Amino acid sequence: MKYEIEGSPDYGLLRVTLEAPGEQVVAESGAMVAMDSQVEIQTSARGGFLSAAKRKILGGESIFQNTFIAKAAGQNVWLAPAPEGDLRAIELARGETFFLQSGAYVAHLGADLKLDTKWAGVKGFFSGVGLFLLKVEGPGTVFFGGYGALHPVAVGPEGYTADTGHIVAFSAGLDYSLRSFGGMKGLFLSGEGLIADFGGHGTIYLQTRDPRLLADFLHPFRPVSSSD
Amino acid sequence: MQHKIEHGPAFAWLRVQLAAGDSIRAEAGAMVMRTPDVQMETHLNAGYRPGIFRVIWAFFVALLRKLLGGETMFLNDFSTTGANGEVVLAPSLAGSIVHKRLQPGQRLFVQAGGYLASTGSLDTKVRFGGLRTLLGGEGLVLLECSGEGDLFVNSYGGITPIDVRGALTVDTGHIVAFDGTLDFKVGSVGGMKSLFLSGEGLVCRFFGQGTVYIQSRNVASLASWISPLLPG
Amino acid sequence: MQFELNYRPSHSLATAHLEPGETLRAEASAMVSMTRNLEVHTSFRGRPGAGFMQSLKRGFLGGESFFTNTFTAVSGKGHVSLAPKLCGDMVVHELTSSHELFIQGSGYVAAPDSVELDTRWQGFKGFLSGESLFFLRALGQGPVLINALGALETIDLDGELILDTGHLVAFTTGLEYEITKASAGWIDSFLSGEGFVLRIWGRGRLYVQSRNPAEYGKTLGHKLPARQQ
Repeated sequence: MKYEIEGSPDYGLLRVTLEAPGEQVVAESGAMVAMDSQVEIQTSARGGFLSAAKRKILGGESIFQNTFIAKAAGQNVWLAPAPEGDLRAIELARGETFFLQSGAYVAHLGADLKLDTKWAGVKGFFSGVGLFLLKVEGPGTVFFGGYGALHPVAVGPEGYTADTGHIVAFSAGLDYSLRSFGGMKGLFLSGEGLIADFGGHGTIYLQTRDPRLLADFLHPFRPVSSSD
Repeated sequence: MQHKIEHGPAFAWLRVQLAAGDSIRAEAGAMVMRTPDVQMETHLNAGYRPGIFRVIWAFFVALLRKLLGGETMFLNDFSTTGANGEVVLAPSLAGSIVHKRLQPGQRLFVQAGGYLASTGSLDTKVRFGGLRTLLGGEGLVLLECSGEGDLFVNSYGGITPIDVRGALTVDTGHIVAFDGTLDFKVGSVGGMKSLFLSGEGLVCRFFGQGTVYIQSRNVASLASWISPLLPG
Repeated sequence: MQFELNYRPSHSLATAHLEPGETLRAEASAMVSMTRNLEVHTSFRGRPGAGFMQSLKRGFLGGESFFTNTFTAVSGKGHVSLAPKLCGDMVVHELTSSHELFIQGSGYVAAPDSVELDTRWQGFKGFLSGESLFFLRALGQGPVLINALGALETIDLDGELILDTGHLVAFTTGLEYEITKASAGWIDSFLSGEGFVLRIWGRGRLYVQSRNPAEYGKTLGHKLPARQQ
């Protein structure tokens, strides 16, 4: 099983080559771009996620994942995230943890990789209904995408501050506190204008564009529903 | 006529140098800038031979193409009044532009939103990929391009050519173009359950020999992804 | 103050490195991240002649925010990383006392205090197309950070050019302009999708973006779920 990321950093595209029959890759529903013909797709609601019904009520979040299983040798599966932006792979050792914004998850390799949604991330960290922090634990490889480029920042003793709309992921070893920020970014948006002050030791992955600003930009261009 | 694709692959635009007698046809709204001696004529997007009696028919064809395929109703022809002129064309979405030179006998299918510009005597016919395509937003409306000339196709995201080795399955929203030598069939990923649960919508299965050009982003996925963040 | 630009041209990120005591003013929505030793103040830049809510609404729809953040490095050096709303490039234009820069509203990102921003400049009024293009006038000296939707093309013009208005990011003094029909005929101009275009001539610099925000917004917006009014 091997993978290649092309189109980085403009529009990351992931190609996974399942070399032997039985090899598989799990991906967020809707991530498939193309695949060779000897690939079977299994759809399931992941255990460990919030109950499917609850998630659907919260709105917007895809509640199913697809498992792509090779039926023959050398089968390619092409996967892409939804927003315009980059895609990255993080390879995690056994027990190594990584925190990922749920909307940024694209796919993963490794049957033993754990995706924990019950982990109680701080509410309101990410604005937008149905978005939360995924706790990922290795062994395995997790692929994630963002809006814009994915910019890693190494946090040291001086700490670092980031706007929550730009936080995609971060490694273990970091702690943070949230506060509202001047500029009232949140006034017009669906979430609050929060920033996170990080401390500890680790790496933060920032996306260079804030999806909430795209939502606000697109809002006036939406079709108007006729009231009946 | 000379052309150059600049600022690719992320936000490509097409720069065209026109000599006297040259002409390039582009979808409405594509012009970024031009030198003062370039002139623009607007035509209905309905094929190349509108005779006197066909004008009304052409209007309806153009309207249909817009409503069903999301194509623009009008096309603009750019030519120069002087010895040379320059026009720059760009599509609306973020992504690449690819140039294909078609020879007589060749066919290229282009997903409706992918047409940017063309030269020469290219003929474009509207084709629908499968019955299901008219349902929902995931329809596959194709332009069958043939004839002789240059064709400029744009994508949402990057363009990756994939050579089909017997068979290939592609999410319909990610198709930019494909060779006319391929057979294709539109359907759901696998059974009714998959259609609604897998989130993959419709797929197009290709058979035979030829190249499929895929784009790495699609508007339907972008819409799903941004929906939770939209105000009411 | 030094600007570092990364991830050009499509997902550009600008990092302003500030020496102790240096101050940078930026659009409030532009902050991505910063070192913890910067002092931040927020101010509201109102539109003269309009009411508060009106200003907010118009400003919001017009693409520029009315809140400005001022970042000052207090104890030691620091940096603040900035990004515009949409994907695309950013460039630093070095403003000097020899010229002024007119920036389309959503094209402005940040500048130090040595650059003065005048929001009262009323260019391009009377657009029938409904695209209310709002321009900021920048004068003084220093680096001005501007952004584009898509790639940014810098054109040092000595002659004449016809430009689709939505593709204009900024231009300097030395250039004249007029709004004109895209085509010889009125009907063609409307149907061509080009509407009104700008005829620009003279000697000066203009910045052009390779995508038109209104076209981009319409193409994506139409596919989104409907909104209540």
